[in-house]
Amino acid sequence: MQEQPTRSTTRQRPRRVSVFDGQDLKKAIVAAAAWLEEHRERINALNVFPVPDGDTGSNMSATMKSAIRTIATSNEQAAGAVAARVAHDALLGARGNSGVILSQTLRGLALGLDKKTTFTSADLANAFQEAERLAYRAVIKPVEGTILTVVRDAAEAAKKSAEHGDDLVQLLQEVVYAARQSVARTPDLLPTLKQAGVVDAGGQGFYILLEGMWRYARGETAAPAISTNSAQEAVDMKKGRVSVEEEFGYEVVFLLRGQQLDVEGIRQAIIAMGGVSTVVAGDEKMLKVHTHTQTPGKILDYGVSLGSLLDINIENLQEQSLTYEAESKAEHAAEAPSEAQATEIATIAVSSGSGFDQVFEGLGASALVAGGQTMNPSTEELLNAVEAVAANKVIILPNNKNVILSAQQVLGLTQKEVYVVPSKSMPQGIAALSTFNFGADFATNCETMTEAMQQINTAEITRAVRTVELGDLQVREGDFIGVVNGNLVVASRNIKQVMHDTLQRMDIDSHEIVTLYSGEDVTEEEAQQMVRRVKEQHSHLEIELVNGGQPYYAYIISAE
Amino acid sequence: MTVRIVTDSTADIPAEEAEAAGITVVPLTVFFGDDAYLDGVELDNAGFYRKLEASKELPTTSQPSPIKFQEAYTRLIEEGADGILSIHLSSKLSGTYQSAFNASTSLPDDVKKVPIEVIDSLSISVGMSRAILQAAQEARDGLPLDEIKAHAVDQLERTYILAVLDTLEYVRRGGRIGTARAMLGNMLSFKPIISLKDGAVVAVEQPRTRSKAYVRVAQMLGDMAPLEAVSIAESDEQVGLQLAQALKATYQGEVPRYKLGSALGTHTGPGTAAIAVVKARR
Repeated sequence: MQEQPTRSTTRQRPRRVSVFDGQDLKKAIVAAAAWLEEHRERINALNVFPVPDGDTGSNMSATMKSAIRTIATSNEQAAGAVAARVAHDALLGARGNSGVILSQTLRGLALGLDKKTTFTSADLANAFQEAERLAYRAVIKPVEGTILTVVRDAAEAAKKSAEHGDDLVQLLQEVVYAARQSVARTPDLLPTLKQAGVVDAGGQGFYILLEGMWRYARGETAAPAISTNSAQEAVDMKKGRVSVEEEFGYEVVFLLRGQQLDVEGIRQAIIAMGGVSTVVAGDEKMLKVHTHTQTPGKILDYGVSLGSLLDINIENLQEQSLTYEAESKAEHAAEAPSEAQATEIATIAVSSGSGFDQVFEGLGASALVAGGQTMNPSTEELLNAVEAVAANKVIILPNNKNVILSAQQVLGLTQKEVYVVPSKSMPQGIAALSTFNFGADFATNCETMTEAMQQINTAEITRAVRTVELGDLQVREGDFIGVVNGNLVVASRNIKQVMHDTLQRMDIDSHEIVTLYSGEDVTEEEAQQMVRRVKEQHSHLEIELVNGGQPYYAYIISAE
Repeated sequence: MTVRIVTDSTADIPAEEAEAAGITVVPLTVFFGDDAYLDGVELDNAGFYRKLEASKELPTTSQPSPIKFQEAYTRLIEEGADGILSIHLSSKLSGTYQSAFNASTSLPDDVKKVPIEVIDSLSISVGMSRAILQAAQEARDGLPLDEIKAHAVDQLERTYILAVLDTLEYVRRGGRIGTARAMLGNMLSFKPIISLKDGAVVAVEQPRTRSKAYVRVAQMLGDMAPLEAVSIAESDEQVGLQLAQALKATYQGEVPRYKLGSALGTHTGPGTAAIAVVKARR
């Protein structure tokens, strides 16, 4: 950081900083990520509905941890290169809608700082304009009173500050003030926030990040050590077998040809040998291994002991350029294990609960990505699943409104043809997948599945995670609550009452078949009893009970 | 001087209609345990489904032996046929075509005085019956064998079959699953729509309810227009009527309904309604 003697001004400033280089930017962003992590739970609490769902604080913090996973240990001097790597890693790690929008602001920052070794206030203000532009472009229907508004107000403050001739510390201060005020105004712009008595969580998260950068710039905190190991929880992806951790060591990719290969056993063995981000996909005769390891020789020796290795590719990740080329990922795709299937269509479903996993598998899903209401998968987890399936055309079922946007980011990261059917719930995903036609082409399937998804009525019964008043509804923490097509309609201590009212609100008597997916906390007997009760009240309906095994949600209900 | 038409009992052409059209039907054999029944002769549609639902064991079907075809061909030649066209169910579903073909090539020369053409319809039931009935009509009109055969092949190539099943259980137990494999073992109940592709069973879609499945079949029918003919094969009247009603949304022509016989019924189970669609010639 290049410091200059403090000028005498009307405002007291600890120091004046005119120029940031790559290391300054890195430290500022790492500090911002740490500051956000510190505020994570408080941001999570800014939840409009008392339902357990993808928490904004956790999603944004996970996105930031991913954003800094490479640069945290990098000595890169060029600010533009640091920003580019941050943008790329943020996009891969983007979780939830707020995470995706955040990743777009970081991409805007990278565009603004492109090819710059160092940058000034004017450059940063320009980068903020780019961040605003890309953030708004990330969503189809921008809503004011959200993170978008805060980004725009921050960008405007940056512009004014730069025009005023402020230095970087002053500019960040102006931006932080503007963001804070903008967050405070969000309830005026978005009635649901006002009703719940909270400010927008995504906007708050963005403000906290800016504040973290400002704190670093003014020398208030040294960049705290932040563990990137916890950046991403290991993700168990059935079939695709994907788990994600930070990049380190060597990336080893090869095809293994053999007899009676045990996909799961091989994956476990490679993990036991220290392989991380390990993907093993294929069948008993041919499979593809993708892992990161400190000891590539060990992995290759193991492979040779099982069969014949083809298309071996080893790259040193630490030595890789910070500039990322989307093509490199796509090259792996070309090595898909089964050439015969390469022209077919794969389907990937985000699923939560062993019963739902089985339903999706039974419907022919090519791969599952673990996720759901409270755990939103990152763009990278979805991307890895897309790359791991053999087909070149892939349909993703996000099955959650907070996963759709991150799924759509995959389109820009792979050379495969990807379509996201915007399913907001697992029953919608099931309805879509059940119309998947093995004989039809990609476009027809995308169209049919999207249409089928819209014809299903879904509801959830869960427990309120906090006490809140929503319109006429008094919700106490621990109450059972019924959510119909995204709207909270009933709250009560009595689950039978909640089931009854929820089904009424779904107008289930106008449907033919109702499926109750019981959650992991519901016993078989309780579920059977519930079904008997529903049958008594709606005798003409076909009621099907499936042990969905989903966490948090006692029942997920679909009517069709 | 005339061409004669031969098929097997899986065409699901009622005995009286076959007789009136001069079609020779060679029956397959249906086994319930150790009890053997000649399909369509000793066991009618209703009787078959009664037994199917009552039987713990899945029935099996067995192709007619080549001898049965040799007997049929020999008789027709003795009756003065100057050519024989023998049309059979998909060779992917049964060995019947193989039996008929073997019979045609192994007839002694002193018996086989006329050409015998054996066609693999790559279809079954109503999916081939219309082509067979048309061939019989043309034979009565005195058309030559090669022309009748060409017309039959042309129609079969334009014919598509879609079936709505009550359950995939019978397809699974019968082992004739093809890509329908992917739909097996599901925890949810579905009313699967299956079809035949290149003569083998393929899964099409898996609607949750019967009425939805019929609506989808009607939509698919609409997508195939212009159409020359549509017919239904039903395991029972109720499902056939329900399907016919749904088809009115996209097809206004007459839809004859046939009983779905035991050969296909063994593999599709009770509660099955199928349609055969003949697309108009382009």
